[in-house]
Amino acid sequence: MNGCEHRESVASYVLGALPEDEYERFATHLATCDDCQSTVAELQVAADALPLAAVQLVPPPDLKDRIMAVVRSEAHLQSAAETRGDEPAAAPRRPWWRRPFLAVRPLPAAAAAAVLIALGVVGGVLLSGGESTRTVQGTVEIASAPNARASLQLSNDATKLTVRNMPPPPSGKVYQVWLKRPAQDPTPTTALFRVDSRGSADVEVQRGKLKGVEAVLVTAEPDGGSMKPTSNPVIAVSTA
Amino acid sequence: MGLVHLADEDLMQLVRRGDAAAFEMVYDRHATAAFSLAYRMTGTRNAAEDVVQEAFLSLWRSGARYDRARGSVRTWVLGIVHNRAIDALRRSMVHDRRRASDEGIEERFEARERTDVEAARRDEARDVREALETLPPEQSKVIELAYFGGFTHSEIASMLDTPIGTVKGRMRLGLEKLRGQLGGLAGAMS
Repeated sequence: MNGCEHRESVASYVLGALPEDEYERFATHLATCDDCQSTVAELQVAADALPLAAVQLVPPPDLKDRIMAVVRSEAHLQSAAETRGDEPAAAPRRPWWRRPFLAVRPLPAAAAAAVLIALGVVGGVLLSGGESTRTVQGTVEIASAPNARASLQLSNDATKLTVRNMPPPPSGKVYQVWLKRPAQDPTPTTALFRVDSRGSADVEVQRGKLKGVEAVLVTAEPDGGSMKPTSNPVIAVSTA
Repeated sequence: MGLVHLADEDLMQLVRRGDAAAFEMVYDRHATAAFSLAYRMTGTRNAAEDVVQEAFLSLWRSGARYDRARGSVRTWVLGIVHNRAIDALRRSMVHDRRRASDEGIEERFEARERTDVEAARRDEARDVREALETLPPEQSKVIELAYFGGFTHSEIASMLDTPIGTVKGRMRLGLEKLRGQLGGLAGAMS
């Protein structure tokens, strides 16, 4: 039997009916009162069953689509290495950069096909700036940012990446540019960047001409960058 | 073994590591209960969708906070939905407008059980509704106003022109009786 003077607040607590100030006081008290903890445990059983009393309604399918679009885009930006490593149900997978480049997909194919939005055409040459300069449109795979764009300006003097409407990298992370050569792991560059409030950034990838590179990739990496990619690419620009 | 065979608690281990497919499985298992609770509380489809979206994205982003020692994933999910719905109700002050605009939604969207699990849940839901109906009306009233209405005990006392102490007592007595009647249902939420 609960002899505590606060016992009559327990029912309000488990039903979510305590006003804010009382909630704070009771929560503080609860942390040290065995009687009230015991009563909470008893009454919580009944409160936890209450949702079942609601008429069961099917949520609209587009609600799931909206939620999963956000979830997949955020998962995409998280570290894939630590996520995949010990997944119990997954068969061992090669890291994305060891798979054929054009097969790169940040998520299982079925899920990716449903939600990921591929923008632009990899390798589509949009503009020729003469013999020595060309601009190549890239692919941005961030479902929550359908207007995101990326392009690469290639010349004999420099290679520059331009992004527009990109979301910021996740907290504690920075975008990093990688150079992918055939049959090799991506090579890290020192080109680390964030985007401004409008999602824009102009990044010098490399001085001089890009040689033997089939694609320029961007991943979200821990601050300071990585020597090997820890997440799937969010931007891919084919230079072939 | 695929995700479909994993228990909720194991799926949550994957969700906290950022596994979107595991999250999707958790969503599929609990979205109906979540949406139903949100709709019951907010009374409109749009508000219910907003609450469910907020709740599941919160779950996705704070999966690490799930502690299996403190209850089932289902209870945790519905607890988040409940809190979000209360926030929405108190934020928008929609109490009085609820249940007016989406009349008939139950008939249009009511879940049809497709699996044994869903059929069992339907039976459990009926049991809970019946248990609530057996409570003295003054007890079921305060429980419903508090849990589904999102009202504080002070607001309920004011609405019913009843002392707060009486409201609190009715809540406690009602929950105790409900717990007794639902004894066999204790595992229903796990």
